[in-house]
Amino acid sequence: RGFCVPAGPPSTRQLREADEAAPVFQYAGKAAGRKDRVFVWGFSYSGALGIPSFVKPDAGWKKPRRIQPTPYRLETEDKISSAACGYGFTLLASNTRDITKVWGMGLNKDSQLGFQRSRRDQTKGYEYVLEPSPIPLPLEKPQQTRVLQVSCGRAHSLVLTDSEGVFTMGNNSYGQCGRKVVEDEIYSGSHLIHQLKEFDSRVVQVVCGQDHSLFRTKKGSVYACGWGADGQTGLGHYNITSVPTKLHGDIAGVNIIQVSSYGDCCLAVSDEGDVFGWGNSEYLQLASVTETTQVNVPRHLPFRIGKVKEAACGGTGNIVLTEEGNVFVWGYGILGKGPNLIETAEPEMIPPSLFGWSDFSPDTRVAHVRCGLSQFAALTNRGELFVWGKNLRGCLGTGRMEDQYFPWRVTVPGEVVDVACGVDHMVSMVRSFT
Amino acid sequence: LNAAPERAPRQRVRFLPNPAPRGGGAVELVAASVPVLADHPLVRGPRFRKLKIGAGHRLDVKASGVFVLGIGHGNKLLSDLYNCHLTKVYTVGGLFGKATDDFSDTGNLIEKTTFDHITREKLERILAVIQGTNQKALLMYSNIDMKTQEAYELAVKGLLRPMGKSPPIITAIRCLQFALPEFQLEIHCLHETQQYLRKVVHEIGLELKSSAVCTQVRRTRDGVFTVDDALPRTQWNLQSIQEAIRNCQLKVETELEKTLA
Repeated sequence: RGFCVPAGPPSTRQLREADEAAPVFQYAGKAAGRKDRVFVWGFSYSGALGIPSFVKPDAGWKKPRRIQPTPYRLETEDKISSAACGYGFTLLASNTRDITKVWGMGLNKDSQLGFQRSRRDQTKGYEYVLEPSPIPLPLEKPQQTRVLQVSCGRAHSLVLTDSEGVFTMGNNSYGQCGRKVVEDEIYSGSHLIHQLKEFDSRVVQVVCGQDHSLFRTKKGSVYACGWGADGQTGLGHYNITSVPTKLHGDIAGVNIIQVSSYGDCCLAVSDEGDVFGWGNSEYLQLASVTETTQVNVPRHLPFRIGKVKEAACGGTGNIVLTEEGNVFVWGYGILGKGPNLIETAEPEMIPPSLFGWSDFSPDTRVAHVRCGLSQFAALTNRGELFVWGKNLRGCLGTGRMEDQYFPWRVTVPGEVVDVACGVDHMVSMVRSFT
Repeated sequence: LNAAPERAPRQRVRFLPNPAPRGGGAVELVAASVPVLADHPLVRGPRFRKLKIGAGHRLDVKASGVFVLGIGHGNKLLSDLYNCHLTKVYTVGGLFGKATDDFSDTGNLIEKTTFDHITREKLERILAVIQGTNQKALLMYSNIDMKTQEAYELAVKGLLRPMGKSPPIITAIRCLQFALPEFQLEIHCLHETQQYLRKVVHEIGLELKSSAVCTQVRRTRDGVFTVDDALPRTQWNLQSIQEAIRNCQLKVETELEKTLA
């Protein structure tokens, strides 16, 4: 009788009304900031990744995860500003003024993570730390000093603060902690953290080689201590040094702006873009200036590749980044130019098209380079991470276990700000996209 | 087409008897080239009764743009062009704030969200990530062993491409216009469908913690054929088609030689 009208297809007016009546959801406010995160990947049995469920699963039927092949998020309470990977352990440092500024995880057999009191036996310490645990530093003003940088070597670690010098801990059998070598010293479960303050000016960068330490001061001079049998201390002899001593040679009087080392070879970059090297040269790292396999005095490397901005040393290969954004590699091993290039004494450039440069994005360039023991990592200005080299126990993070002969992009859910490479694991500091 | 001047009829050599000047006797045979009767237009009829037309890569009902067709013998070139796996360029328009079930603005509304926190910088960051992950997919599906020197050389030149079946891959993506709530992207892709592009727009909206629908998909280039070569609706007549075929012939040949060689 005309009371009911059959429903036909919705008219434009009905559609518009339905559209306006729909509720609007808000997922992110206008002031939503980008969050800082830490991602880890690589070999996990030593606890270096900081996720206990990889080593000791929380359910009985689960198996421990030996290798984490892709980036995995590590939950931290504070924003981590600096990280370093050693040989089976990791240090994370934050820029805060709180009492805990440094956390460590992984191997602790030489107290390279300080003394971690075991809960079962109050007198002994943990030999493997599975979770980021705070490291107690003997600071005079713990609520004012800030930790600027951390660095890890084979069995020792260095912590750089802004006003209280450098703290060293761990193995000291070669004097790499900067204190006198004590014979038959037992390093495991040791409470000793040594403080180094006697330099010509404030220390701005600390670098750990395998068994030696390098300190760069504000005035541009470099100090070294530790093992010297390969000449990596650069002091003109092949003995061990237990007190940080200033380096001379070709870098005397030169303002050095960056030092790098990870194995037994060391590189330094001056403010004018020159590269100086010393240490082990068995893998042709310094073969452009000398035929000897050990160089114990810093030598200038006369490369004609442009002004160098950053350098990084690996175990057998070296990598530099120039001002124009080009990446050069030399040395031995998987250098990143395909399987045919195994060793070279002169730097070879890696084409920028492998780092995402193309006609569509001509201003993509490499911003930082980092080195692990036999891996290389490059960060572009778009926040992408490219890795290549030997894929030891999944440390490249590509998801595959094969070696990578040319730069390959690692899928990280965020913009990579910094990355620290170790022997078989890597840690990256990432900012989320939105 | 049938009114165009026809081919000259075939000629055939026939031995015709030459009437001998003196009547009777041996009949001489003289070779003469005469047109074959079977080729006579009245015998044969109109030259073209049916035309075989093949289509190139598919184009949706809701999308627009360049659509490649092959006529007659050109159909064989179509399959060769498909095997070249060349990239296609689309202009995709999107709208923030709405999410629908079929990812376009004519579907049923599912959700409405705020979008005032979105900036051009955030969008470009997401686009860079999409490009990076698709770059990896490109290298993975190109079916070359990563450990060889030739893989490295192809990767440097950027010629590493999947030459077989693969899921849709975006080789390049960038933002052309950005005016909240609308935005326009240029996408270079391989092996895709238009619905996949609409899904990409929807996923960009989700990544930016909002939602997006696709308003326009327009193909601006399909391999070697660009919008300039394409004929609009007003020019769908014989002369323009013949001219267009002639113009594109050279381009298609060089491209096929380069890729399939």
